[in-house]
Parts: sequence; structure tokens; C-alpha cells
Amino acid sequence: MASLLSDQLLQMETTCGSLLYELQMIWDEVGESDAERDKLLLELEQECLEVYRRKVDQANRCRAQLRQAIADAEAELAAICSAMGERPVHIRQSNQKAGSLKEELKEIIPQLEEMRKRKNDRWNQFLEVIEQIRRISIEIRPAEYTPSKVAMDESDLSTRRLEELHRELQSLQKEKTERLKQVMDHLNTLNSLCLVLGIDFRQTVHEVHPTLDENEGSKNISNDTIESLVSAIQRLREVKIQRMQKLQDLATTMLELWNLMDTPVEEQQLFQNVTCNIAASEHEITEPNTLSMDFINYDKIYRRKTSVMQVEAEVLRLEQLKASKMKELVLKKKTELEELRRRTHLVEEASGETEFAIEVIEAGAIDPSLMLEQIEVRVSKVKEEAFSRKDILEKVEKWLAACNEESWLEEYNRDENRYSAVRGAHLTLKRAEKARALVNKIPAMVDALAAKITAWEKDRGIEFTYDGVRLLSMLEEYTIVRQEKEQERKRQRDQKRLQGQLITEQEALFGSKPSPSKPQSAKKIPRTSTGGSSRRLSLGGAVMHPPKPDLLHPKSTRCTKKAEDMGALSPARRGIDIAGLPVKKLSFNAMNAPCEAEMPRRPFAPLVHVNSIPSTPSQPNIMSTPSQPQNNDVEEENRTPKIMPISTPKTPATVPASMQMATTPAPTSCLVYEAAVTKAPLEEMEYSFEERRLAFYLTR
Amino acid sequence: MSAAVLPTSSGGRELSNPPSDGVSNLRFSNHSDHLLVSSWDKTVRLYDASANVLKGEFMHGGPVLDCCFHDDSSGFSASADNTVRRICQSEPSAWWVDSVLTLGKILVPTFCRMSHLDLKPWMEPASLDIIFVNSFRSMKLQPSLTLVPTSKDCEIAREKQMETLGWECRLRKVDRSSFPNMATGKDPKFTMHKSIPQATYSETLRMKGQVITGSWDKTLKCWDPRGASGPDRTLVGTYPQPERVYSLSLVGHRLVVATAGRHVNVYDLRNMSQPEQRRESSLKYQTRCVRCYPNGTGFALSSVEGRVAMEFFDLSEVGQSKKYAFKCHRKSEAGKDTVYPVNAIAFHPIYGTFATGGCDGYVNVWDGNNKKRLYQYSKYPTSVAALSFSRDGRLLAVASSYTFEEGDIAHEPDAIFVRNVNEVEVKPKPKALPAPPP
Repeated sequence: MASLLSDQLLQMETTCGSLLYELQMIWDEVGESDAERDKLLLELEQECLEVYRRKVDQANRCRAQLRQAIADAEAELAAICSAMGERPVHIRQSNQKAGSLKEELKEIIPQLEEMRKRKNDRWNQFLEVIEQIRRISIEIRPAEYTPSKVAMDESDLSTRRLEELHRELQSLQKEKTERLKQVMDHLNTLNSLCLVLGIDFRQTVHEVHPTLDENEGSKNISNDTIESLVSAIQRLREVKIQRMQKLQDLATTMLELWNLMDTPVEEQQLFQNVTCNIAASEHEITEPNTLSMDFINYDKIYRRKTSVMQVEAEVLRLEQLKASKMKELVLKKKTELEELRRRTHLVEEASGETEFAIEVIEAGAIDPSLMLEQIEVRVSKVKEEAFSRKDILEKVEKWLAACNEESWLEEYNRDENRYSAVRGAHLTLKRAEKARALVNKIPAMVDALAAKITAWEKDRGIEFTYDGVRLLSMLEEYTIVRQEKEQERKRQRDQKRLQGQLITEQEALFGSKPSPSKPQSAKKIPRTSTGGSSRRLSLGGAVMHPPKPDLLHPKSTRCTKKAEDMGALSPARRGIDIAGLPVKKLSFNAMNAPCEAEMPRRPFAPLVHVNSIPSTPSQPNIMSTPSQPQNNDVEEENRTPKIMPISTPKTPATVPASMQMATTPAPTSCLVYEAAVTKAPLEEMEYSFEERRLAFYLTR
Repeated sequence: MSAAVLPTSSGGRELSNPPSDGVSNLRFSNHSDHLLVSSWDKTVRLYDASANVLKGEFMHGGPVLDCCFHDDSSGFSASADNTVRRICQSEPSAWWVDSVLTLGKILVPTFCRMSHLDLKPWMEPASLDIIFVNSFRSMKLQPSLTLVPTSKDCEIAREKQMETLGWECRLRKVDRSSFPNMATGKDPKFTMHKSIPQATYSETLRMKGQVITGSWDKTLKCWDPRGASGPDRTLVGTYPQPERVYSLSLVGHRLVVATAGRHVNVYDLRNMSQPEQRRESSLKYQTRCVRCYPNGTGFALSSVEGRVAMEFFDLSEVGQSKKYAFKCHRKSEAGKDTVYPVNAIAFHPIYGTFATGGCDGYVNVWDGNNKKRLYQYSKYPTSVAALSFSRDGRLLAVASSYTFEEGDIAHEPDAIFVRNVNEVEVKPKPKALPAPPP
């Protein structure tokens, strides 16, 4: 190249020399003067110089431009580096480096390009984040959003700034999700409320904000929306509580009315879902449409659901019914009150009774509902009192039962035939044993009761009355009667002893023993504690309050009858015993049909041998007749209860009981074998249970 | 108030895994508290009553109508498939594995469609024998007891038997082949002091170890399970009965057979050709159960009509005057009496008192000598089908199981109760003193 240039220059020099020579030749030819020649040559040289100067200027300008470019590039590089928060790398270095300007520029350009590209990338990142922030901010609070706040400051593109922005974005995103969640929560609450209240959920939500209604797509989560949601929920909840209270009031009324009027269960069933919520608190009512205001009775799906309106209607109906039935209701309540009093043996004040007279209602003097209320108040009062009396009343019942048993025992003790071996005698014996044990416990019972009553009276400052009589005085009376009775008994014992002496004397005289039972027949009834007085005690209320004998009368008759029954029972049972035993539904009964003419055989007596007549079980018996109940065994039996320890009811079986030995009907001696065999085929085939069972088993 | 209401104490421990159908019989072992139970569900079950464990179960071809122990490791059963079986353990640890020996079939007469085996081996404790006479001739009768055990097992077994039984014993030999669990040594020889006429005990010994069955085919059969295989050899004798056999009982050499038609035959095992006594039941209705007194003087017999007769073997006037009958298992309600069958009688092995069980679900304990009822246990859910006292009388097994008295009806589930027996419940009470003057 250089050679080429120098060649060109050489050529140019030759060309210039040849041209000069040509010029001198021309001049010589022309004959130009030297001055002209000099002038022309100067002109040529000046022109040449000008061309040179222009070129130098041009070159100089070019160099300056180059320097400027480099400086620009360096400046830009520095700016970028500083914006991106990076250290400028090699600006000074390159200056110190020896090298042409073009090289320097060539070196710096790619660096600049690189930095520019990085800056661009960073910028894009910023833009992206900022865009996101912008979007979310608008979503969250559109009013507050100011573009300037987020406007981009290009001078700061450092990673730190980017991180800051990222953090901001994240916090915004978090806030967004939280809000979304909140909104969803609110929507759910709203939905359940709407369900319960029977309101269209979509519509409600649409009113709050149209976007909430949509299933997919973003929901508006701005503060306003949330606030309006909350207020909607609040509103609905208030409505719900209001309706619920109303419904519960209605249900309570309804229950009361049902109770009052004995409404059939089927009718109540209709309103089951209402009444079951009667005690529920607000958040417990979740069943759809429980508090709906609409009539949805015709709707098949909700046929069982009852709206508030319906309940209201029903209550109205019941109220009307109640009004029409008021008289009955008052009567019913009154009987309830009376029953309660009767059970607790409380006697109402005389004034109280007239207060609730039905005539008053009929006359219209008092509002029936008012009277009903009064009665109810009274009932609750009586109930309270009954509760306080309960403990003592139970004890009184026990005591009265014991007294009853005592009177029975006395009756029983007077029964001459009590130990005869009749059917069921062991039952009465057992009862007598129990009764004795019970009677022994009565004094302790009375003492305990008296102590309790005194405590009660002290506690309350009023007398404890039982059917209008003071219970303490009853107890005292009882104790006195009991003492009297004791004396009576003692007297009787003495008398008996005397009689015994008389008998032995008579025996010595006449050699025979008169029946000792005669003189003490049942006619002579000593005064018993329970026979007269005790019954009066328990009937004290009835005596003093004749208006209601029908309530207590059955009790008294039962008491008196019991003793009669016991006496009447034994002969009857004896009759049954003689008549034969209905053998338990077994078919062999039919085969061995002959009526079992069993007589009470003397226990432990040997069986009678009937050797000659085999297999005639129904042969007339030559045993003792039933008219001879008195035998030595009976006498022995008579004494047994006294010598034997009275067994407690828990272990009745340990007392050895005599075997029930009656006649064994068939002859028992050895038989002529053939006689029995010939007899057998005549009878119908007999089978044992096992044979029947196997037959059944095989046919199965 | 009423006597029927008794303390509702428990009826005893109820055994787990009871049979699935009615219990036909149950018996305690004479050596342990093992309980053998036969049932209509075609099984024989073996329980350890004190541990309440079902130790084994054996299926049969038909309902099992009766069962009994032979020794502690084997027993016999009678099934409605007309077969008598011996069932035994094959090794000491495993009970009631399938070692079954069909002793023999019973021919069923054509006129009687059903056949029933009532199986009673000789119940004298020592007679359920793992032992039979081998060197009888060479035996020496010595005045005092000497024991020459060659095997520890045998010694223990022998001592136990002697201890518990007070047993008249002769020279015997343990047969190892048939009872591997018991015999491990060579022929041990035992001699005891009691000398008895040779004829008697030779007869007795000959009969020992036999199984006696009574059947609805109106026969009594004796089987010797030790006999060589083949029914001809095991069947020792067949004895015709006037009617279908319902119940059997054995004490000493006396065998009492109760049949339908209220016949009661008393046999002497030494002479089975003819009944020693032919009687008619002193009860008017069908015989349900017969059991001999443990003291061997008589037998108790129960009927379907709530009555038990106490009879005596002694035919003399004095002996027969002692007999009596009494009513039990009855219910009197509202003037109406219900009479229940008495299904089971079990004598207490020590006191000689006895328990009866009826279809009313009650178990009563009686003192036959003093003619008193000693105890009544609380009511069981359904009929008491069978009773058995354990060898020492401390346990009483009660089968509470419907006995088909009213045909195929719904009933309580079948159960077996094992109750501890208090001495006071079974011990005879001294007679009441004469009553003092009032």
C-alpha cells in the first residue's frame, strides 16, 4: 500500500516534473518572459499550498470529531455504569494507553454497546415490575393510585432499587391475596346468611359489586367493596337475628300452646324444624331457608321447611284455638295444680281455690289468660315447694308403707289358719317375715323422720303439713298409739299364759286337750296402730277436706280390702289344689288324663302299698281327706317361724324348706311285669322330648 | 314377697364357646375339672371348667344324645346316627384329636323310626378303667398295702385313685397300648389289703371298663371298648327291655334302667340275664331321669310332672316304707299352677344331697334324708337340661338349654354355667330342734 502510495507520489512527481518540463517547453516555444514565468509558477505554488491547507484542516477536524466521539462514549459509559450502580471499569486506563484515537474508539464502542444492552435489560425488568405494581395498586385502591409515585426514575437502575421494587411488589401481592381471601370469606358468610334467610345470594352480591357475582374472573377487592360487603353481612345478620328471635318467640308460644292443647304429634311434626331451633343461638342456625320469609310450602324441595310466615300463621291459628279452648285449659291447669298438690300432700289455702273458679270465667269477670297465668305461677310455686319437701315425703311414704305392713301383720297374726299348709302359705309366711323386720325398723324410721322435719321447719319457719295436718303431730300420735299397743300386747300375753295354766289344769281334770285356739278368735280385735289411727293419719287430708274424697278414697279401700283378700285367698287356693293341677301344656297330659285327685297327704308318711291293683292311678284314694288339715305336721310347722331365724329377703333359699310331699298316685311296689306290658299297647304311644326333638330334627 | 323371687345372684360362670344347639348332657371328669358336653349340634365338647377353656371339640354324624368320661383323656358318646364312639386324645398335649373308635352300630327296629342311645358306662370311679385284669391269677392278697411302682406316672395315677376313692383294689396292670399317656413303665403291680371273695370281684372286674348303652330300640347293650376290632367282639351283650330306654344309672353292681311306659328295671351286673327287680315307677307320669344314691341303697327318679320319687333297693317291708315322693319345680301364679318336667338329678359326691333341674329354669338342692330343700339357685334363662357335680363337689355344671318340651319354639340361647358350690348350699342341716314352748 505504502509502496503503492509512494508509487503514486513518484508518478505524480514525474507527472509534475514532466508537466513542468512540458510547460517550459511550451513557454520556450511561446517565448514567455521570465517574469510571467515566475508569476505563473508562484500562482501554481500558492494554489498547491491552499489545497494542502484545506486537507490539513480537514484532517484536524476529523481528529477532533474522533476525540469527541471517544469522550462521548466514555461519558455515556460512565453514566450507564453509575446508573446501574457499577464501577466504571476502564476509562482512565485507556487514556494512558498509547494508541491512536481510532483504536481507542474501536475499543470503547463494544463496551458501550454491551453496557447499553445491559441497561436496556435492566430497564425492561424495572418496567415489568413497575407495571405489576401499578396494576395491583389500581386494583387495591384505585383512588389513591398516583402514577407519579411509580414514575420511573431512569437515573437509578441499580439492583438495590430493583430489589426494593420487588419487595414492594411482593407486599402488594400479599395484600392482594389477603384481600381476596377476606372477600371470599365475606362472600361465604353472605352466602350462608342468604341461604338461611332465603334471599338470592347472587343478587345481593351483585348489588355490592358486579364483579363479585362472577364465578371466575377477578373480583374487585378494593376497600370500598370490602366495606360494603361487611356492611351487607352486618345487615343480613341483623335481619337473621331479628327473624330468629321472632321465630323462637313463635316457637316458644307454639310449644306452650301445644302443651296446653295436647296437639297431636303429627301436627307438631310439621313444625319440627322450627321447634328444634328454639334454644339455638344465632350461629347454630345454619339450615337453609330456616328463616325464610317466603311461602315455600308448595315448593317440593322445601316441602318440609316452614317459613317464618307459616309459623306465624300457625301460631295465630293456635292462639285462636286457645282462645276458644280457654276454659278447658284453665280447667286442665287447675287439675294439674291439684294433682301436684295431692302428690306432695299440700293443702291449698281456702282462698286460692275460689280464685280459679270456673264460674268466674264463664261470667267473664276475669280474663281467662290472666287466670291461666296466675295458675301457672301457682304451679311453679307448688313445684318449688314440692322439691323442698320431696326428701321428707319419700320418708313419709316409706313410713306409711311400713305402717300398712304393720297393720297387715296384725291382721295376719290374728288369723288362726295362717300356718295351714295351703297353697301360697309360704308366700304369706315370707311376707310376714319381711313385715316383722320392717315393723322393727319403724321406731328408728319415725325418729329419723321427726329429726328431718324439725330441721325443715326450723329452716323455713313454717310447719310441715301433710294433707293439712302437721306431720310432727302425726308422728307423735303414732308413737303414742304404738306404746298403747305394746301395753295391750303385754296384757294379752299375760292373759294367754293364764289361759295356758287353765288348760293344763283342765287337762289334769278331764284328760283331754281343748283346742287352744277357740277363745282367741278373731273377733277380739285390740286397738292397732294402723287399723284405726294410722289410716286416719294417712287420710288426714281427706278428713279435713271433704271436697276431694274421690282422690283418696281408692287408697283407703285398698287398705282395708287387702286384709280381707288375704283371708279369703287361702280357702280358694285350697280349692284349686284339690281340683287338680293344670299341667303345663304338655300333650302327655291328655294321655294320662284321669283327674289327679290329690289330697294333702301327711308329710313324711309312707306311701301306701297297693300291691294287687297295678296301673290304676285314678283309683279312689284312701288317703286322708282335706277336711283334716290339722295334723302333727301343721303343728310342727306352726312353730317353725318362731324358732327359725327370720331370714333376710336376700337369702330366702337358705332356709330349708320342707319338701312338698303329696300322694304319689301310682302304686309303688314291684309289679308283675307282664301286666304292665299288656297294658302298654292299649295306650297311645308316649314319646320323650328327645324323641320328639329327633323326629323334628329329621323332618327338618 | 313371693318365694319365686330369689336373689338375682349370678348363675355362675358362663362357659365361653357353648354348643350352638341344645345340650343333651354334661359330665365332670372323675380326675379333674374337665367337663364333657354333648349337644344336638352334633358335637361333643371338652371344657376345662375351672379355666373356662374349650379344650376340644369333636363332630359327629348326628345329634349327640349322651356322653361320658372314660378317663381324663378319653370318653364315650352316643349319637343319633346310631353309633357309639370312643373319643380320645392321641397325644398328651392335644385333646380330642380325631382318634375315634366306632364301637358299634345299633340296629333300629323298623317300627321305631328314631333311635336313641343312652350311654352310661359304669360310673363307679375306678371302673372307668384304663386298667383291666391281666395277671389276675398271679395276684397276691396281702394284709397291708404295698406299692411297687415302676413308673412315676403310674404311681401318681394310682395314688390319686386310691386316695380319692378308697377303692377296693386288686392286682392290675396298666395297658399301655391303648392309653399311651398314662402308662410309661413296665407292669406296675399294686396290692391292697382288702380281701374279697374271688367270684365277686372276678365278676366285677370282668364287667369293669365296659360301656352300657340303652336305646330306643328297647335294648340294653354292653360294650367292651378294649375288645379287638370288629363290632362282634366289642359288643358283649344285648338285653331286651320292655320299652324304649330313657335313663340309666349305675351304682356298685346295680344298674337301674328307666324306660318309657314307666318301667324301671334293676339289674345286677353280675347277672345280666334277668332283671333283679322289675318295678313300675311310683310316679304317674313319664320318667325323665333316674340316678342312684351314691351310698348304693336306692335311686331317685324324676318325672315330667314336677315330681321326684325316692326309692330303695331293699324290698323288705321296712326298706320300702322309707320311700316317698315330693313335688318340685312348680309355679303357682294367680291361683294357677304350672308344673314343669324335672330333667336332671345330680347327687353330691360327698354329702349325698342332690340337685334337681327342671324346665322352669331352677336348680334346687335337696336333702333326701331330712326331706328338706336346702337351697334354690337363682333362675336360669331357660330349662335346666343337665347337671353335674365335679369330683370334689365344689363345682356344679348347669346346662341351661331348652329341652324341646314345647316343641320347636323360640327360646333362650343354650348356655353352660359352672358355679362354685358353697358348703352351706349342699351340706345337710341338722334336724330342727323340737320347738320350745311359746
